[in-house]
Amino acid sequence: MKILTTVKRVTDPDMKVKIKPDGTGIVTDGVEYKMNSFDEYGVEEAIVLKQNHGGEVVVVSVGPSASTKEIRTALAMGADRGILVETDAELDSDAVARVLAEVVKKEQPDIIVMGKQAVDSDRNQAGQMLAAYLGYPQATFAYSLEVADGWATVGREVDGGTSTKRIKLPGIVTADLRLNEPRYASLPGIMKAKRKPLETMTPDDLGVDVTSKVRVIKYEAPEERQAGRIVETVDELIEVLRNEAKAI
Amino acid sequence: MADIFNPTPEHKALREMVRAFAEKEVGPQAEAHDKHETFNIELFRKLGELGLLGVTVPLAYDGSGMDATAACIIHEELSAQDPGFCLAYLAHSMLFVNNLAVNGTEEQKKRLLPKVCSGELIGGMCMSEPNAGTDVLGMGTLATKDGDDYLLTGEKMWITNGAISDSDLGDVFLVYAKHEDRDGRGLSLFLVEKGMEGFSLGQKLKGKLGMRASTTAELVFENVRVPAANLVGTEGGAVKSMMRNLAIERLTLAAMSLGIARRSVEVMNQYAQDRKSFGQPLNRFGQIQKYIAESYAEYMAGRCYVYNTANELALDAMGGRMDSDGVKLYCSTMGKNVADRAIQVLGGYGYVAEYNVERLWRDAKLLEIGGGTIEAHQKNMTRDLAALERLP
Repeated sequence: MKILTTVKRVTDPDMKVKIKPDGTGIVTDGVEYKMNSFDEYGVEEAIVLKQNHGGEVVVVSVGPSASTKEIRTALAMGADRGILVETDAELDSDAVARVLAEVVKKEQPDIIVMGKQAVDSDRNQAGQMLAAYLGYPQATFAYSLEVADGWATVGREVDGGTSTKRIKLPGIVTADLRLNEPRYASLPGIMKAKRKPLETMTPDDLGVDVTSKVRVIKYEAPEERQAGRIVETVDELIEVLRNEAKAI
Repeated sequence: MADIFNPTPEHKALREMVRAFAEKEVGPQAEAHDKHETFNIELFRKLGELGLLGVTVPLAYDGSGMDATAACIIHEELSAQDPGFCLAYLAHSMLFVNNLAVNGTEEQKKRLLPKVCSGELIGGMCMSEPNAGTDVLGMGTLATKDGDDYLLTGEKMWITNGAISDSDLGDVFLVYAKHEDRDGRGLSLFLVEKGMEGFSLGQKLKGKLGMRASTTAELVFENVRVPAANLVGTEGGAVKSMMRNLAIERLTLAAMSLGIARRSVEVMNQYAQDRKSFGQPLNRFGQIQKYIAESYAEYMAGRCYVYNTANELALDAMGGRMDSDGVKLYCSTMGKNVADRAIQVLGGYGYVAEYNVERLWRDAKLLEIGGGTIEAHQKNMTRDLAALERLP
C-alpha cells in the first residue's frame, strides 16, 4: 500500500506569539519551528499502516526550503521518502490543496493521511479542499482507522460524540489527537533519515499558481482577560451582571 | 552563521527529539524521584529504545554511532529537566558504555555492548574509594594474579548506578584496581558482573543533598575471581583508558551544568516578567536585571566553551585534557551560581519545589565534586598551562 502523508513547518506552539506593531504578521525573530503537531499523528498513522499492510510512506511538505527539517523528522520516525514543494510565498489553504492535488496525481497513493489542521493558522481546510479538487472521499477528525479490501473505516470525533464512516480508497483521512501516540524519532532513525531520498520541486514544476486568494488585513491580539472576582451574595451577582457587565 | 551547538541537521534533530521527550516524560517524574531517592529504571530503558544509551557506540554493536557533541546535547537536554536522572544516564552511557566501546576487546564489546545499549543491563564505573578520590593512584583495591584469573579485593565508593534499588546491585561495572607488584601508575581495568562470587552491595547511600534520582553506592570486592577475558586493555595499562574516558566524562558533566543553567535562566526570566512588585514587573529593577543578564551571559559563555571543545574531541584520543578540565571547572560553578540567582529572583517561591530551581541548585553542587573536584581541575590545568609559553 502506498501512503501519502503531509507535514507543515509551523512556529513552536508552546512559545508566546508576539504580533508585529503594525499588525501585518507575527514576529518571527528568534522563533523556533517544529512539525505541526496534528501532522505528527498523521505521520504516525501512516507508519502504522505501513507496518500492518506493507508498502511505502511518502511525506510531503509545501513551504520554504527550511521545511526539509520537518520532512527529515518524519523520515526519522519511519517514512520512506520525502517531497518538498518549495516556495517562499504566503500560502493559503487553497493553494496548498491545489499543490498537493498535483503531487497526489503524480504519486497515486492508496490513501492520504493528514493532520486535521495546522496549529499556527488553525484553518482546518487543506484536507477537505484536497478531497474536493481530487474528487476523492474524505473522513475528517479521525480517532481510529482500519483499512481492508480497498475501504477505510474511520471513527470520527464529531460534535456531541463520535461517528463511524466508511470511505472507498483512494481517499483522504485527517487525524485528530486520539488517533494514536506519535513515536519519537529515535537516534538511529535520525541517522538513517539522512540517507533517505528527498526530492525538491516547485509549484511551477507542478503547474500550480500559488498566489493567495485570501488576503490578511491585520493581526490583532485578543483583549486581555480581566481577573475574575468572587461576589458575596446572589443579589450582588445580579447587581453586577446587570449594571457592570450589562449581561442581563 | 555556523551553529556550534547543533553542527549538523542530525544534531539539531537529536536535540529536538531529546527536548520533546524530556519535557514530556522526564520533567513530570523528577520531583517524586528526588523526594523518594529512587531510580526510574522504566524511564531509563526508554532511553535505550530511543537509541540514546549507546550514543557514541559504533552501529556494529547496536549503538548510534554519534560523537561527543551528540553526547553533550543529550546531557544538556535531560539535565534541564532532571539532573539526577541524567547523572544515571551519564554513569551508564559515558562511564561504562563509551569506556568499553573505546577500550574493550572485540569479544567484550560483542558480548556486552548490545545489552547495555538497549538498557537490558545497567552499567557503572568504579574509581573512587572510601579513602582515595582525587588522589586516584592512591587507590587500595588490589588485583592479584591467580593462574589465568585475577582476584579483586577492596571497596569502591560513590558509585553511580552501583545499586538499582535499596538492595539490588547494578549489573556490570568497569573497575579500576592496582597491582601489588607494580609501581604506583600500574592500574588495570576489569569488567565485574553482578553474580560474581565475593562482589556485593556494601550500601546504597541515603540522605544525599542532590542528584537523588540516581543511586550512589559503596561496592565491596572480596576475592572476586575475574577471568582474564574480563581484563579491559592491557594489564597495568589502564591509566590510558582512564584518561581517554575522563575527557568525555567531564565534557558531559559540564553539559549537565548547562542544562541546569538554561532551565534556571528560563525560570527566572519568566517569573521576573510575571511577578509585580511596587507596581511593576520584577525585571524592571536593576538588581534583578543584573541576576538575569549575567546568568544568561555566563550560560552562553559556558555553552560556547563546551560545544567548541566537544566539536573538537575525538573519543579515542588522549588530547583535549586542559579544556575538558576547563569546561567542567567553569560550568559546574556557573550552573550552581545561576540556579542560586534563580532562587533569589523567585524569593520564597524559589525555595520550594514547585518552581524546580531549589532542586536544580542542590543537584548543581554535586558537579563541583563528582567526576573531578574543581580543585583537581585547577591542579591539572595549572600543571598543563605551565608547559605553555604562549597561548594560541
